[in-house]
This record gives sequence, structure tokens and C-alpha cells, in this order.
Amino acid sequence: MRNVRQILVKTLLAAALLLSATAANAQCRSFAKNKCVPELAPFKFNESFNAAQLAPGEEAEVNLTFYSGQEYRVMVCTHPILGEVNWKLMDENNKIVFESLADEPKHHFDLKAASTVPMKVVVWVPGAGKSDMVHVGCVAIMVGFKE
Amino acid sequence: MIAMRTNLWPAYLVVAAFLPACGGAPPAQDTLNVDNGLDTTKDEQIAKTKKIFYNIPSPMETAALLKKAGAEYNSKILNDVKNVDKYTAASQQALNLGVYGADLSYASVFNHTQESMFYTSCSRKLADRLGVMSAFNDSTLELMQAKMNDRDALLDIISETYWNVDAYLKENGRDNISALMIAGGWVEGLYIATQVSATNDSPELRQRIAEQKLSLNDLIALLGSYEVADARLTAVMADMKALQALFAGVADPASGSTVTEENGVTVVGGGGAVATLTDAQLTAIRDKAAAIRNTYIN
Repeated sequence: MRNVRQILVKTLLAAALLLSATAANAQCRSFAKNKCVPELAPFKFNESFNAAQLAPGEEAEVNLTFYSGQEYRVMVCTHPILGEVNWKLMDENNKIVFESLADEPKHHFDLKAASTVPMKVVVWVPGAGKSDMVHVGCVAIMVGFKE
Repeated sequence: MIAMRTNLWPAYLVVAAFLPACGGAPPAQDTLNVDNGLDTTKDEQIAKTKKIFYNIPSPMETAALLKKAGAEYNSKILNDVKNVDKYTAASQQALNLGVYGADLSYASVFNHTQESMFYTSCSRKLADRLGVMSAFNDSTLELMQAKMNDRDALLDIISETYWNVDAYLKENGRDNISALMIAGGWVEGLYIATQVSATNDSPELRQRIAEQKLSLNDLIALLGSYEVADARLTAVMADMKALQALFAGVADPASGSTVTEENGVTVVGGGGAVATLTDAQLTAIRDKAAAIRNTYIN
């Protein structure tokens, strides 16, 4: 009987975790759609939904290819609950092409590709410091292009 | 409210007229293994590791690149809308949602509105069978119908629908379905480009095809990032590796980057050799892309 109750409690907890994760992800999509996509204008969103719930100290990376002759906007869009984040755009040799730090944030970077180049965007959330509160928030890494 | 409903009737009629072109009731489906997200230990492990995303060019971006490269529109090479009812397995539905999505983008970018509506109906039908209705519902079709003569607005709606479907799948732990959809769309994009090059060859088009070497590497990394044991994903991975072998002989499009400024705009890259394909490489990639695509659509 006790085992059954334990299994039931564990199942309910797992279901609650799954539901809260799904709800958080749905909020992330909604946030990206309403807040971030409009800021890509006049560039057209490239339709790749790269977003994650990040906590202080966590990192995300997106591999990108920029095609020659095309103009792009790279944007890192963060939910206000998380505060500002650090991010950089690097080439395949890890040479930094652009960097934005949390204390002087820039939310987007526009570029034109003279040749086709693979690059990556790395985002990292500054540590929580001495605060006991750990905020988890949506970070969306988005790319727009000109048709 | 009543007036609004009345006004929607023409749109419903048009949608109803399009749907039969894409078949009848959904046949029985098989299932695809999906990580249900209940393994909290694994979730905790994921939370502590770096999250890595692979940005594969979307069908719309690929179609726009083809148009800029001087490609022409050829409706004969696209997947037949009548095929939609053949896709009973979830994996086939996912692959062909990508295929029809690419055909839809190709038709829309080249402003073939009527065909866009047919491919929208097919895509919607597959999305429905995959349980992604909330991301691709009747109001999307009504909106597309209303904007049929406004190309830019239509492209925006298609674009938003595509990423809604992708995001919905990822949010609901169905990343492998999303990966198959992306793979199907990418293969169809390569198929279209290589088929167009057979009749409308140009150095620009060859360059764009050669550059797919980079996105293919990302696609393989994306497919390899799922730990779910799934036979179809494994088979698609094998297909992509077979293509990768053909791209191996193609010189890398770029190495490193230079950064300059031109009229206030940052310019990245330049100076290196432009990627291209020999006749033999192009033929081999064209044949392989067609063979792989045929296994997905039949």
C-alpha cells in the first residue's frame, strides 16, 4: 500500500514537472513571438526557433551559416526576469566578431556576408552573485535575413 | 459576432475545396518513440550542460537563396499533392511535412499562389495527423486565403506557421519529429536546387548547392544529438552521411573570417575562393538527392 502511494506521488510529481516545463516552453515561444520577432524587422525571421530556459551560470550555443551576398541581423532576446546576458558571435576559428556584455548590452548585430561563412553565437548568463534567488528565464537566439 | 462568422464562409468554402485535393480521412498511424521528459535525472543533467542548437536553413530561406541565384520555377518537380494520404507512419508524415513545407515555400517565393494553397492544405493535413493542429489551424488557412494577393504577407504567415509547428514539436518533447521535418525540408530544398540546375544551370546556383555542405554538417549534428532509439532517424542519418560523402570532395566554402566595414555595415568574410561543383560532383549529388527524396515521398 505504501509502495503504491509512493509510486502515485512520484508519478504526480513527474507529471507536474513535465507540465510546468511544457508551460515554461510555451511561454518562451510566446515571448519570442511577441517580443523578439518584431525587433528583427526589417529583416525576415529565418524561422529557426532557438530558445531555452536558462539559469545564471548556464550557456547556450547556436551554429549558424551566413550565405554570401546576404544581409543578416543576429539577435539575442532575453526575458526581463533574467536580466541582461553576455553573448558573442564567433567564426569557426573562435575569433570574436562581435561581443555584447551584460553591463553594456546590445541586443542585436547586423552584418553582411561577403562570402559564405559558418559562425556560432554563444550566450552565457552571468552568475546569480550572492542572491539566494535563482531566476530562470527564456533566452531566444534569432536570425533575420533580407530577402 | 454573427456578422464575423458570416464573413468567414467564403474562406471556409475555399479551404473545403482545397482539402479534398489532399485526400480524405487520416489512416491508422504507427508511432514514433518520443522522449516523454519524465526522466528528471536526465533533465537535470541536460540543465547543467551547455545547450547547443543547430540552425538549418529554413525552406523559405533556401527558396529565397535559389531565387536570388537565378533559379526558375518548375512545378513538375514538386511532390504530388495526391501522395499525402500515402503517409500513414508518423515518421513519413514528419518527413513529408518538411517536403511539402519546402514545396510551399518554393511556390510562394516564386509567387505561384494557387499552388501555395494546395501545398498549404497538404502541410496542414500532415500537421493535423501529427497532432500539431494548435500551431496550424483553420484561422491560419483563412488568413492565408485573405492575403492570397499580398505576397509579402503570405510569406510572413507561412514563415510564422513553420516556426510555430517546429516550436510546438520541440516544446512538447517531440524533437525527433521536428528533426525529421527539418531533414525532409532540407532534402527537398537540395532536390529542387539540383533539379533546377539540370535545366537552368548557373555558377551562382552551383555555388549555393556547394554551400549546402555546411548546412548538411549541421543537419547531421542535429540528427546525432537525439538519444532516442528511432529506426527512421537512424535511416535518415545514414542518408545524410551518404550525401556528406559526396560533398566531401567539395572545397570548403570559407575558412576563418575577415571583418571590415562598408557604409556603416559590418561585412564578414570575403577574399576566399567561392564554393563550386564540378559537373561530376553536381550529377552525383543530384542523383543521390533524388534517390533519397524518392524513398521519403513514396
